[in-house]
Amino acid sequence: MSKYKLSYYWLCQFVGWSAFILVYIFFYLTLRTRETPYFYHVLVAEAVIGFLVTHVMRFFILKYKFVEKPINEQVFYIFFISIFFSLIYATIGATVEQVLEIEPERQRSYTLLNKIMRASMGCFSFILIWNLIYFAYHYIVKTRQNQFDKIRLETLVKELELKTIKSHINPHFIFNALNSIRALIDENPNRARNAITELSNILRSSMQAEKLETVPFEKELSIVKDYLALEYIRFEDRLKIEYQIDEDTLDQPVPPMMLQTLVENAIKHGIGRQINGGLVKVISDFRDNFHELVVQNTGYLNGHINGDGFGLPSTKNRLQLLFGEKANFEIKQVNPDLVEARILIPVEIK
Amino acid sequence: MIKAIIIDDERLARSELRKLLTDFPEIEVVAEASNAGEGVEKIENINPDLVFLDIQMPGKTGFDMLAELDKAPHVIFTTAYDEYALKAFEVNALDYLLKPVEPKRLADAIQKLHLQEDREQGPMVPVNFNRSILNENDQVFVKDGERCWFVKLSDIRLFESVGNYAKVYFGPNKPLILKSLNALEERLDEKTFFRANRKHIVNLRLIDKIEPYFNGGLLLELKGGEKIEVSRRQTVKFKEMMSL
Repeated sequence: MSKYKLSYYWLCQFVGWSAFILVYIFFYLTLRTRETPYFYHVLVAEAVIGFLVTHVMRFFILKYKFVEKPINEQVFYIFFISIFFSLIYATIGATVEQVLEIEPERQRSYTLLNKIMRASMGCFSFILIWNLIYFAYHYIVKTRQNQFDKIRLETLVKELELKTIKSHINPHFIFNALNSIRALIDENPNRARNAITELSNILRSSMQAEKLETVPFEKELSIVKDYLALEYIRFEDRLKIEYQIDEDTLDQPVPPMMLQTLVENAIKHGIGRQINGGLVKVISDFRDNFHELVVQNTGYLNGHINGDGFGLPSTKNRLQLLFGEKANFEIKQVNPDLVEARILIPVEIK
Repeated sequence: MIKAIIIDDERLARSELRKLLTDFPEIEVVAEASNAGEGVEKIENINPDLVFLDIQMPGKTGFDMLAELDKAPHVIFTTAYDEYALKAFEVNALDYLLKPVEPKRLADAIQKLHLQEDREQGPMVPVNFNRSILNENDQVFVKDGERCWFVKLSDIRLFESVGNYAKVYFGPNKPLILKSLNALEERLDEKTFFRANRKHIVNLRLIDKIEPYFNGGLLLELKGGEKIEVSRRQTVKFKEMMSL
């Protein structure tokens, strides 16, 4: 980046001062009434000196960070350094011309101070133009950088929001669970105490989920078990729970809270809508080269599945980000009253 | 005594609320229901003064259940956390409790109920001899998309038939309810509500102007500005009623 910018500066310097020379030659050849002795010598000398003086000026601009000052201060600095450096430019120019004896004839009788003052008038406009271009360029670059940063910040905020939504437990569940636990305190104090432990486990892992990319399946499964145990308190006989877990899959890495979200949806959209309740079945197994996680529930798929609640595309994106293109997620109606959500994670062969 | 019914799909939630209500001896929980179907049945049989109603239930929501009733009881909604329901409560100024229920909030809600009763001279006064006919102080629950209302029958000026639905006119609103005009006519008090023609039932107390119309019919202008034609056959009946 800085290398690119540097070359941009040199390019502008060469092009600018070459243009200076060419424009003067053009007007000299087209408009002159009589030949000026040493015209080309003077012109090249002025261009080379201008080149060097502006380069030194740039060194000061960079050193005192004029470009980063507020815009109203910048205007002041532009004028100040333009005056200062045009005097330097004129001094060097006049001295060099006098020493080399290449100055126009009519100027030879003037004093050096007089020559410097005359030359500085012309130099001031060149230096000012140089500065205006330099500051304007940096102003535009800075503004664009700011805009770019702002957009990036906005997307970052959105991403973070999305993550928070993804990993947070549904508040409806938390308050319902608390309500059930309050009722249990009199009815079955032991169960109530266990329920509080289960709820704490779930809350704790939902907070940790934001930090971790993957967790061992065993950990995720214990959260799902706690979660379903709590839902069982609410639904009682209306909820049947089955597990079919291949023990070898317990060490496999899975994204935290993903299976939990699927089970939560199975309850919310499946069991919660059936007057007589139904079954939630969690399956974990190896199939071909995949670790297969399945959540089955009694219920019916309908249109709203693709809406905000399920986050179908985000689940798939998250899987593919973590495990590559082969990872997959799908949800479908497997028979008239059974919905199945299936996660496929490719297994790394060691 | 205030007869109350608790409708919630979770047994523990019902028992918790019942326990909280023991602090209010004037409220007697006479029944419980675990879904909307059961709820409708119990409300129609028992005719309670008050219903504690959960929003999220399997099958039908609490709102849908209320919209099914001909006559809505006084309702206090209960929900754990449901953004949609909370919005509905706030927009429509409905009475609600958040689970787990705070005893103080429950006391406030019951206090409010008492104030309302005093204003209506108490629900214990037997106004209705025939329970199947709705009194003009009865309220119906009307739901139209996100908006819902408890509307007193005396505030409704017109029912208009739209296919299988009826459009209910009150204030600036005219939502649809899933009820036929004939079914409504059977339940409404004929002293207040009059079948003007095949498509309209008007509230006689909210008529602004009466003008003669073609073929010996009448044109009624209601307080809301609606103009309703009275068929020739019904005009005879209308004149009979009004001359009394």
